[in-house]
Amino acid sequence: MNPIFEEAADHVDNQVIREWKAQGKKVIGHTCSHVPEEIISAAGMMPYRLRGIESESTSIGDTYFGPFICSCPKAILQKAGEGAFNFLDGAVMVQSCDSMRRLDECWRAANDDYPGILPGFWHYLGVPHKAVDYSLKWFSEEIEMFKKHIEEHFNVTITEENLRKSITLYNETRDLLKELDEVRGMENTPVSGQEAMNIILAGTAMPKEVYNPLLREALDELKARPAHHGGKKRILLGGSVVDDQSLISVIEAEGAVVVADTVCFGSRSFEGMVPEDSPTMLTIAGRYLHHQFCPRMFGHYKDRMALIKQKMELAKVDGVILQNIRFCDLHGSENGLFEAELESMGVPAIRLEREYGAMADEGRLRMRIGAFLESIPERRTEKPAA
Amino acid sequence: MRKEYTEYPFDWALHSLFSNAAKAINGTPKEYDRIMSRIGDMKDLADFVFGHGDPGALFMKGFSQYTEAITTAHAKGRKLAFTTFCQSPAIFWAMDIVPIVLEPMTVLGNLVRKGGTAEFMDFCVEAGFTETSCSSQRGALGAYLKGLAEKPDFVAIDTGGICDTNANSFTFAASYLDIPFYQINYPPTLTDQRAADYHRADYRNFIKFLEEQTGNKLDEDKLRAVMQEIEVQDDLICEIQELQRLRPNPVPVIFNLFIYALRFTMAGMEPCTTMLRACLEAAKKNAAKGVSGLSSQDEKTRALFVYIDHYATNIPLWTFMDEMGIAHLGCILTKYYQDKVFYSNGDGYHLDTADLDSMIDTLAEQNSRLPMVKQIRGPYDAPDMWLEEAMYLKDSMNADFAVYSGTPGCRNTWGMLKLLAKKLEDAGLPTLVINADAFDERVESWEATRHRFEEFLELRRLI
Repeated sequence: MNPIFEEAADHVDNQVIREWKAQGKKVIGHTCSHVPEEIISAAGMMPYRLRGIESESTSIGDTYFGPFICSCPKAILQKAGEGAFNFLDGAVMVQSCDSMRRLDECWRAANDDYPGILPGFWHYLGVPHKAVDYSLKWFSEEIEMFKKHIEEHFNVTITEENLRKSITLYNETRDLLKELDEVRGMENTPVSGQEAMNIILAGTAMPKEVYNPLLREALDELKARPAHHGGKKRILLGGSVVDDQSLISVIEAEGAVVVADTVCFGSRSFEGMVPEDSPTMLTIAGRYLHHQFCPRMFGHYKDRMALIKQKMELAKVDGVILQNIRFCDLHGSENGLFEAELESMGVPAIRLEREYGAMADEGRLRMRIGAFLESIPERRTEKPAA
Repeated sequence: MRKEYTEYPFDWALHSLFSNAAKAINGTPKEYDRIMSRIGDMKDLADFVFGHGDPGALFMKGFSQYTEAITTAHAKGRKLAFTTFCQSPAIFWAMDIVPIVLEPMTVLGNLVRKGGTAEFMDFCVEAGFTETSCSSQRGALGAYLKGLAEKPDFVAIDTGGICDTNANSFTFAASYLDIPFYQINYPPTLTDQRAADYHRADYRNFIKFLEEQTGNKLDEDKLRAVMQEIEVQDDLICEIQELQRLRPNPVPVIFNLFIYALRFTMAGMEPCTTMLRACLEAAKKNAAKGVSGLSSQDEKTRALFVYIDHYATNIPLWTFMDEMGIAHLGCILTKYYQDKVFYSNGDGYHLDTADLDSMIDTLAEQNSRLPMVKQIRGPYDAPDMWLEEAMYLKDSMNADFAVYSGTPGCRNTWGMLKLLAKKLEDAGLPTLVINADAFDERVESWEATRHRFEEFLELRRLI
């Protein structure tokens, strides 16, 4: 497997970004899967999904955020304060959830104490919490304003042709990632959950024109690989943000394999396509707003449960691990409903609450996960590959 | 859950307490004492509330009527809607729907029940809800999830885009109870035309939802009657708030609670108007005499609460403030942004009852400016938002210090509170951040909170 996947998954910065920047090209960071990256890409820039990985503390994050806040935006602010995102030319803030939306103010305030950490281009994108005609209209106008802001700030023109190309490029990425999903959901899957997650995460930290060929190569390599994860408990990982491989590595170290997921950054991020014929801001808005797999889109529990069931069936899972970062009430509460419903269907499920990042609570999680895996009835254990 | 918590329905028990307390004040002292001996957990509260004369008696009576409406709704063929404090209940009353406003129900439970609503909060966690969620909903919600109250027929809230933990509580409830759900969703801006168009479209959709749930069309005359009552209530509130600016502030501390508690539950209904009228009369009398509304009539310092109050059993926050000589200048929960109120700065709402369209449009406008919906929908330092309001009120109300009281479940304010507090301090306003849970004394006892409050007052030489 190309080592760039692991590098990009494990580090804030990577070789592809460095080469991109060396060519004088721009990078725009953002915080949410509801940001239409196609617009950034059509401007010839690289969209970059912000993560707080590699944080060793949240001392800077804690200075601005209050104590009862998810450690994910705190860790992002930590990295920003340390200058790790100084390669960014711009950033887009979104009211994804209440913790993440306040990264806007906290990052701006931190810039007073750590001058130079705020990218020159700063944009607040208002993403509605429902998908109906007037919210689609609102969001399409937001995207239009976002486009204009980029054009004015960077003195570029986002042509219709470039936008169409960008949409095609992104749809291709989604198709390829779905293929990856199919491969990892195969009987005796040839790919570990950890490896699959690295491949997916790498796509958030490099331009799609570089990523897609690498992804195709990786898929060819995986398909040619002998199956080697037979006999393990097959797990679906659900819940809030998982943007590094540490949690999956703990699950897999306990003798399971993660064959499917519905996590933010994971499989749910590539559900749904933008129509390629005559793209408009409204059609782009449609794809992103109808993307209701995050509980921020209130009132769609049944749709999200349906997605879990669909993925469970495709990947023939033995159990479901539902996790959330502490203080993420949106995922945490919905996980409570999922757990009850899954258990009532006879599907072993567990809820885990954890801190974001460097697995400070690894020992506790390892013990709970190990016990959960042990408790899964041997009802669908695969035969090892020949 | 302990057996005693499950012996009586939560809503019925509240109604029983408030209706008995409301009747007690009309009796002889002996009868009063006798009734209070039977509802001992709320005696201190009743003594303090009734100590404020007519406004107190009308507050008790108002809640007696409100809880009666909840407990008898189904028997009378009316629908029950789960909703939230920052949504105007007027539209529900106009459509003959009884709103169960969860947060005031939690507050009432906390004020009058020994141990507050802690066991109900814990039941929410048992049902799958996160323990870190906002306790303002969890308190009453637990009783409903446990089946210890009249089951609501649907959920209709307006906190999408405003407060995740609030909206999440209700969406959880809708899924758990398997009842229909509607969320009014707000964009991050308030006064631009796009936001106004969004508010109106969403409010119309919301009414369509209510019509589907009830099977009845919105009646123009009923709506007009409710809105005209709101206009009267608005005038009374504006006048009371104008009086609060005086030094000394002639408005008794507890009136703050009276105003929002009935406004959140019975806006547009006569009991709320009657109580507000009594509050204004009492405050005017104090103003005419040039005295403070505090029991001692001696105002030592003036507190602006930038978020909510503190709701431990027996209303200790208000008795503490009254004892200490601290005038209450209101909190976010008393800010409604009528066009005629002094802090609206031209961005307030104006109710237009000319025809059905204008009524719906202006109700949407009103709803978009209700507490929390207005202040914390966008970045805290954006126009019309939290910082701007706090700074304006600091000067216009002659505040000596600011207090943040909230809940650990409030992701939204805790995400920007440190920044707000710093700005207020930089502007010369000492700011106390209370780390307790306004609805759950198990997080920090009132005694500990009081100690910190006193320490703050002393250290900052405010008293």
